[in-house]
Parts: sequence; structure tokens; C-alpha cells
Amino acid sequence: MLVDALFIALLAGLAGVDLFDGLTHFHRPVVLGPLVGLILGDVYTGLLVGGTLELVWMGMVPLAGAQPPNVVIGSVIGTAFAILTKADPKVAVGVAVPFSIAVQGCITILFTVFSPMMHRCDKMVKQGNWRGVELVNYLGMGILFCFYFIVAFLPIYFGADAAGAMVKAAPQWVLDGLSVAGGMMPAIGFALLMKIMLNKNYVAYFILGFVAVTYLKLPILAIALGALAIAMIDFFNGNRAQPQPAATRDAEVQDGI
Amino acid sequence: MAFNDSDAALAAKAEQRMAQALATSTVERDDYVDTQPGEPLTNRDINRMAVRSLALQASFNYERMQAGGWLYTLIPALRKIHKNPEDLSNSMKMHLEFINVHPFDVTFLSGLVLAMEQNKEKISTIRAVKVALMGPLGGIGDAMFWLTWLPICAGIGASLALEGSLFGPIVFLLLFNALHFGLRFGLAHYGYRAGLGAISALKSSTKKISHAASIVGMTVIGALVASYVRLSTPLEIHAGQATIALQEGVLDKLMPNLLPLAFTLIVYGLMKKGYSPVKLIGLTVLIGLVGKFFGLL
Repeated sequence: MLVDALFIALLAGLAGVDLFDGLTHFHRPVVLGPLVGLILGDVYTGLLVGGTLELVWMGMVPLAGAQPPNVVIGSVIGTAFAILTKADPKVAVGVAVPFSIAVQGCITILFTVFSPMMHRCDKMVKQGNWRGVELVNYLGMGILFCFYFIVAFLPIYFGADAAGAMVKAAPQWVLDGLSVAGGMMPAIGFALLMKIMLNKNYVAYFILGFVAVTYLKLPILAIALGALAIAMIDFFNGNRAQPQPAATRDAEVQDGI
Repeated sequence: MAFNDSDAALAAKAEQRMAQALATSTVERDDYVDTQPGEPLTNRDINRMAVRSLALQASFNYERMQAGGWLYTLIPALRKIHKNPEDLSNSMKMHLEFINVHPFDVTFLSGLVLAMEQNKEKISTIRAVKVALMGPLGGIGDAMFWLTWLPICAGIGASLALEGSLFGPIVFLLLFNALHFGLRFGLAHYGYRAGLGAISALKSSTKKISHAASIVGMTVIGALVASYVRLSTPLEIHAGQATIALQEGVLDKLMPNLLPLAFTLIVYGLMKKGYSPVKLIGLTVLIGLVGKFFGLL
């Protein structure tokens, strides 16, 4: 268990850095799930939990810079929990979310206490010390790595048995209730995206996408491509309908007279 | 959020950003000592800048946002351009001012800024361009990546993963990063080549690109709501001798996915009223537990 926990902590550390720096998005649940599964010897469950958590976190992105519940810790803890306790992937959602909210708070604190570092940087650039500025950036990434390493290691190493015992002791309706909530949870992420994007101009497209799945049973890729076609028609028609330069318009008016 | 704002709101935000930049400024002189154009940057220099831009948020903090990582992105190129130590120091001072730009399309701005630095433009001119582009780039970045491309890639990846296929994570990573790295390197070179001419092109197309991205994004979100929000009821209606299952007999006849749609719209409504996502997550867990306990869900 110690070796497994260390490997998972290492993975969480790297993914935690990727969340802010790197942005290759291997920190998303759909990738972290199977990777944690690989470490714990159950890739299949890892894929299922990863897919489930991916849907929950789809809308929880740093829109306009606001910190959402932490996706890395949520993925790692949720997947490890589901594999170690053999719980339903949807129950893992209910377990993952509290951890991710706590870590979100810690990240906010981290970003606050890093502010004074900028005044050190001010002094460095005054002396032309560019190497110092680079070191501050490496330090920032190093702190993030260590933070995630610890936050992932502790609950998995010390909490696995307790979590297993809790799942055994919990009444069935609690587990089922968490599972139901897990199935509803993606709505929150989608609603977050809608809050930013949806206005009366775009309601039509929401309906279109909804109908394409509910009645036509089209796969997501087909719907995305169809929407791309509509967007392209709109984009190029918009170009054509742009007002003509004033000179030609005047000429036309005169012609009309 | 930049992309649905009116022009007046955008102008007010730009003014606020300029104030933030100036408040954190330690710059003392506005022009460079050595005004001869610096050594032109090679493709390799631009690529190096694009790679470094991955660390934009390495020293993120609430006072200057991404200032430290932004300067880190530019350092090698600035050292090549400014041979005079005083100029280098002055330039670095300006780039350590408050900046908040989108991590996915930042290289457009860094390319553009390097072109201006190489040209030895005045400090205040470069700052003005930085401040002016933060908003539009933020809007486009959010619209393209967070609202459109990530939901599409993640939706496809998750649907494969839920079938137990390893292609889920692989397809997700390949799809997402093809656009991510294509734009990161493409925009870096475009920004440097096009120079100031690129600004008007960007400003005129900001709204159009956001609009096109929103069409695709909104359609996909409608599809995802129908595919992946799961909510149904086991309740049965007893009408005399007959028993009708509320879900299959009534709700599904009315419209499949009615409950998931209704729940999503309720959450959306509450969110617009100011409920935080964390509160709504708690509420959802509560509904799940209570609903199961009383056998409603």
C-alpha cells in the first residue's frame, strides 16, 4: 500500500502542476482515472470512474480565472476510493467532491501567500537578475508539486481502510442516494457553462443538441460536427452581410437618384 | 466575463486593468537608452518562448496574477533584444506588472509584445497593448477552450471510457492537444510576424469567433445534458386495478430525458440567482439522499 500511495502521490503532484502549468490536460479525470487504476491494478474500474468524474468536472473550469473545485484531487481520491472499496463509480463522485472543495480553498490560500514573492522579484529585476525570476517560477511549481503530493498521499495511505470500513457500515440507502446524486452532478458543470454562455441567441442551439440526443440518438462527435457546420455558415454569411464601405454605398444612392 | 459584455463594460474593465498595472509598476523611464532595433528573433527563439509560455501561471498570485510566469516566458528573447543592462532591467520591470491573460492564447500577445520590444517601442505603448488585449484574449480563450473544445473532447473521451475503452483517455489527449499546441505555436509566430497590424484583426474578429464557438459549445452542451445527466423515478401510479410506472408510462411518453433537463434548468436558474457551485453540489447530494430514503428517486 505504501508503494501504491507513493506512486499515486507522485502522479497527483505532476498532474497538479499540469493543471496550471503545462496544460496538456493529462490532469483530467478521464486520464487520471485509468492511470490510478493502473497503479492499483484495476484499469477497467479506473476508466469507468474517470469517465464518470470527467462528466462532473466538464463545466468546472477556471472560467474568467475563478478557481473551481480541484479536479486533480477529486480524480485521484475518487478513483482510488472506488477501486479500494469496490464501490459504485457514482458513489465515488460523492466522496471526491468534498476533498476537491477543501483543496480548492487551500489553493486560494497558496495564491495569496505567494503575493509577497513578487516584491522580491521587483528587487531582482531592478538589479537585472533574470535568473532569480526564473528560480521564483521554478519554486512556484515546486511548491505546487509538493502540496499535491502530500494532499494525495495522506488520505490514500491512512484513509483507505477507514473508507472501506465506512462503506461496509453505511446503510444501503445512503450509498444508493450518493449514487443518484452522482448521476445528477454533471448538471452543475453544464449549468455553469450555460450561465456564462447562454443568452437568447443561443437557446436554439441548446434545444438542437438536446433533441439530437434525446430523439435522434446521435453520438457527440456527429452533433459537434453538425454544429460546426452551422457555425461556419453563420460565420461566413456574417462576413458577406457586413456593411459595405461608405464610398460604394454613396455611389449606389446616387445611382438610385 | 468578457465575452457577453457591452462595449462600455469592456472599456471600464480595460481602465481598471490599466490602473492595476500602473499600481504595481516600478518603471522609472518610458523609453529605452538604446533605441536601435534589437537583433531579430529567429523561429527558434519564438518556439522557445511558446514552450516557456506553458509556465505562465507558475508563480500565480492574487496581487499580480500571472506576472512572474509572463516575464519567465519572455526572458530569453528580452535578453537577446536588450544588450544594454539598464534597458533589460527597465523592460523586465514593466513585464512584472499586473497581467491577467488567458493561458491558452497568451502567445499571440507575447509574440506581438516581442515584436514591439525588438522595435524598441516606448514602455507605455507596450503596456497599453498588453492591457488592451487582456480582455479580448480572455474572452476568446474562454469561449474556445473552456466552453467549447474541452466539453467536446471530454464528452467524446468520457463516452469511450465509460464503455471501458482505453481509447477514451488517448483520444481525449490527442484531440485536445492537437488544437492546444497548434494554436500555442501558431499564434506565437503569427503575433510576432504580424506585429501591431494583428490588433485590429483580433479586435474585429473577437466577437465573431466567440459567437461561432458559442454555437458549437451550446449545441454540444445540450447534447451532453441529454446524454449524461441521469435522473429518474421508480414511483408508480395506482389507478384502480392498473399500475402505471411514472417514468416509463408517463414521463418518457411526454419526453425522454425530461427530468434531467428540468433538473439542469433548475440548477441553471439557481446559479443565475447567485447560488455557488459548492452550495449546489451540497444540495444535489441532499436531494439524492432524501429522494432515495423516501423512495422517490
